[in-house]
Amino acid sequence: MTPNKNLLTLRGLARVYKEGDRIRQVLDGIDLDLRAGEAVALLGRSGSGKSTLLNLIGGIDQASAGEVHIDGVNLTELNERERTLFRRRHIGFVYQSYNLIPTLTVEENLLLPLELNGRTRAADADAALRLLEEVGLRDRCASFPDRLSGGEQQRVAIARALVHEPLLVLADEPTGTLDAETGHQVLRLFDRLVRERGKGLIIVTHSKAVSEIADRVLTLKDGRLTEHAAEVLW
Amino acid sequence: MNAIVRRSSWRYFQYHPWQLVLTILGVALGVAVVVAVDLAIESAQRAFRLSADTVAGSATHQIVGGPAGLDERVYTRLRVEIGMRRAAPMIEAYGTIGTETLHLLGVDPLADTGLRPQFADVDQDVMRRLLTEPGAALLAKTTARRLGLRVNDRFTLKLGGRSASLVLAGLMAADVRARAAIDGLLIVDIATAQELLDYLGRLSWVDLVLAEDATGTALAERIAAILPPDAELVPTAARSASMTQMTRAFRTNLTAMSLLALLVGTFLIYNTMTFAVLQRRSLIGTLRILGVTRAGIFRLVLTEGMAVAIVGAVLGLLAGVALGQGLVRLVTRTINDLYFVVNVSELLIAPGPMIKAFLLGLAATLGAILIPAREATKIPPRLALSRAELESRVRGVMPRLAFTGALLALGAAALLAVPTQSLVLAFVALFLLILGLTLLVPLAVAGLAQLPVQLAGHALGIQARLALRGIGASLSRTGVAIAALMLALATTIGVGVMVASFRASVADWLDTTLTADVYVTAPSLISSRLPAHLEPDFIARVRALPGVAAATSARRVELESQSGVTQVLALDMPQSHAARFSLIAGDAETAFPEFFGARAVLVSEPYAYRHRVQPGSRIALRTDRGVVSFPVAGVYRDYGSEQGEVAMIRALYDVQFNDPHVTSLALYLKPDIDASKAIAAVRAAARAGNEIWVRSNRDLRAVSLEIFDRTFTITNVLRLLAVLAAFVGILSALMALSLERAREFGTLRALGLTPGQVRSLVMLQTGLMGLAAGVLALPVGAALAELLIHVINRRAFGWSMDTLLPPAVFAEAVLLSVASALLAGVYPAWKMSRAVPAEILREE
Repeated sequence: MTPNKNLLTLRGLARVYKEGDRIRQVLDGIDLDLRAGEAVALLGRSGSGKSTLLNLIGGIDQASAGEVHIDGVNLTELNERERTLFRRRHIGFVYQSYNLIPTLTVEENLLLPLELNGRTRAADADAALRLLEEVGLRDRCASFPDRLSGGEQQRVAIARALVHEPLLVLADEPTGTLDAETGHQVLRLFDRLVRERGKGLIIVTHSKAVSEIADRVLTLKDGRLTEHAAEVLW
Repeated sequence: MNAIVRRSSWRYFQYHPWQLVLTILGVALGVAVVVAVDLAIESAQRAFRLSADTVAGSATHQIVGGPAGLDERVYTRLRVEIGMRRAAPMIEAYGTIGTETLHLLGVDPLADTGLRPQFADVDQDVMRRLLTEPGAALLAKTTARRLGLRVNDRFTLKLGGRSASLVLAGLMAADVRARAAIDGLLIVDIATAQELLDYLGRLSWVDLVLAEDATGTALAERIAAILPPDAELVPTAARSASMTQMTRAFRTNLTAMSLLALLVGTFLIYNTMTFAVLQRRSLIGTLRILGVTRAGIFRLVLTEGMAVAIVGAVLGLLAGVALGQGLVRLVTRTINDLYFVVNVSELLIAPGPMIKAFLLGLAATLGAILIPAREATKIPPRLALSRAELESRVRGVMPRLAFTGALLALGAAALLAVPTQSLVLAFVALFLLILGLTLLVPLAVAGLAQLPVQLAGHALGIQARLALRGIGASLSRTGVAIAALMLALATTIGVGVMVASFRASVADWLDTTLTADVYVTAPSLISSRLPAHLEPDFIARVRALPGVAAATSARRVELESQSGVTQVLALDMPQSHAARFSLIAGDAETAFPEFFGARAVLVSEPYAYRHRVQPGSRIALRTDRGVVSFPVAGVYRDYGSEQGEVAMIRALYDVQFNDPHVTSLALYLKPDIDASKAIAAVRAAARAGNEIWVRSNRDLRAVSLEIFDRTFTITNVLRLLAVLAAFVGILSALMALSLERAREFGTLRALGLTPGQVRSLVMLQTGLMGLAAGVLALPVGAALAELLIHVINRRAFGWSMDTLLPPAVFAEAVLLSVASALLAGVYPAWKMSRAVPAEILREE
């Protein structure tokens, strides 16, 4: 397979941690292909290495071996600064704990990725507001995150992950702290926004509902990735 | 940097105003002290320079005489034989009107026109009065207004014990710049001055203007050829330079103290900025995820720090000017007590010290925030970095810090081993030592916090264990706060021990030197070129008083030459009084017979240190017979003058100088005579209108120690400011800790700790932090004291002294430490005890 045809290609990806004299192999030769517009759910027990895998794909962490190609760029060949700039432009993140900047308003949180990418025109700001409208929080644009409920904060986080039109969105337990109903709403919104925009999505989850929106379901166990049909798992 | 990121950073400080205020306060305090000290010194220096320049006018050279001044015939010969026109005679003295000290100048207004136009720039009537009317004087408008005097008013001037009635004949006006120069001057005609000072036929000096070319040099040679042996031609700049040199050590000491306050402030800035980074580690992690580069984070923290620094430095400058107004009075008083008379009418806000302090403030902040800024760039773009992980990182750095500290301390020791008299090098060593020992603090705190838990275990009780573990677990915060407090306390101990040792040595020295029962002195102000003297008939009357068993006399004069000023003490006393000298070099068996036999001189310790003289050396002095070389028989302990003095027996002095005067008498009373009765009898023997200072042994000792204490007032003020900065530091650290540990406190509350228990837990922890700082400050303070006593003091003043370790100084420091820490803990304790646990836990 040629990496160019895929949005994301992982080949032989490995991550080893040293714990004193011991060596812990968290990821061991991961291969994965992801096409644009495709959504993949990543399952696994706590400590199985799901977040580590996301961090490697997002260029936050460095692999011990193997390659990460996103849109034809080999991330493993980039230095820290180049990876940061690549991440800034092409990756969107959504976390379980939202990670909004508490000292910025909702609108400013959305404008942040745009400004980091040098997009400061009025049209960009309008696009951000439209996105806020899509997540149903246009009227809260001047609020600070601590004034928002968990579901609302996660909606802002999703909008922030998409506002700069990244190629790939990485989500780590996006509904983990939300109640079932709110989680479901947030998930539907997430699914719609990502698919409408044709972005790639990797979503780490424990939830059946989450894996239901995915095109493929992968399980991480003993550092290796296995693909399953969703119904087999639940 | 990105505008939104910047906004986020600004809002962070908006949400934590106390943190912003404390950081700004740290910078401001440091800058304020530096600028205040600098401005005060600069103002006093400028006032002195201005006064010296005004008095010197356009003169390039002076002809100076011996202790009794210069024969006025030198001036006549200069004009008649050499035809020197650009020359003017001068008589200089200090007098007082009420409580104000004025600089009395006796001038020849006609000759002065070319040299000092501001004195002669008065209308013809005033000039005529000055020349013809007895007691006619000129004052600057500002001085007259301050004294409440108007033209034609009569006033009483006190001069070296005598009083004279003068009349204000006119006022000197001047532009703004010159106004300060003439403020405090009292101008009279030279004949009036000679009469007022009983100085007939004598001058203080003659001013000359010599060209800087070959003709000037040739003229100087011709002038030198006609001078009598007791006179010398010296460049005007030489005297001004030697006076400035006199205060060098004083200025260096003050500057060092002010830099110490800035250093404490730097710790404070470091502490608050580190906290600002640590607290936002999750936010910074998010920014990194969103694509802000390490350089971007570094710039963010640096910009925050520099913004704080600029605001703090500007506030510091304003506060410094205010503080300077107070300090200038203390500085002036100390200079007047120790060195020379200087009138400082106002604080000079010169741009130099302001810019210097501003830049120092910025540099200190930059230095303080580089570490947290670098630390911020290491925060990985994820959220998992826990507080514990950070602390374990700090713990990992601790041995390296301690190693660096030990290296710095060794560097200090190496610098101290360099055989030099350099004061600056000594201060560099002092700062290296301080910094080195401070870097050892976190490791020491970790040990101190663990020790009781290991020793006492569960017997300590849960609260004490929680408090101790809290200190050890948050070393990134507690370590720095304790280090800052320790530094300020160690300074307090170091300076306290130094002052106590110094005072004890001075008291010992006074006991040795002051052996008589009553001392009689002609009042004089320091550094007048006309030393006051007692009238011969008065001396005879006093010696003849029935209660006086014996009397010795002393003459104290200053000899000026191109190499500077030398103080000479001529004593008229038998060898049985040799115990007055405490010899620290030289053999008493041979030194005293040589000294009392008028074959050699003794020199004081500072003189020996500055001139590198020892018994057996020879020193050259310009006497009325020309330059004479004297053998040195010994070196004696003396704390009277940091410039040092040369003591000779009166018989030797009389051979070398045409000066029959006596400055003071020491009276030994008959056994049954009461000192107060003798004092009354001495006063009665003085002529009406003649003021003399008569003091009993006990009073003189007390006055001397009072002056000693007064000169250290400014040191105490600076010490207090350093403690204040450290107090702010510990308050800031405690606030930060409380905020950081809010969840822990919330959990404890949820588990059933009462608000009172939370309060006492926080207070216990702060008290323990204070105790740790106090305990660590003890050895560091003692080390500082040793350095201050045996190196800094020695190099600054040439004095040696024994170290006295008063337990009170150490106990006070520990008490101060615990008290300030407890005080700083009150608000955080109150805040934590009032917090609702559910809210804290939810927020977290």
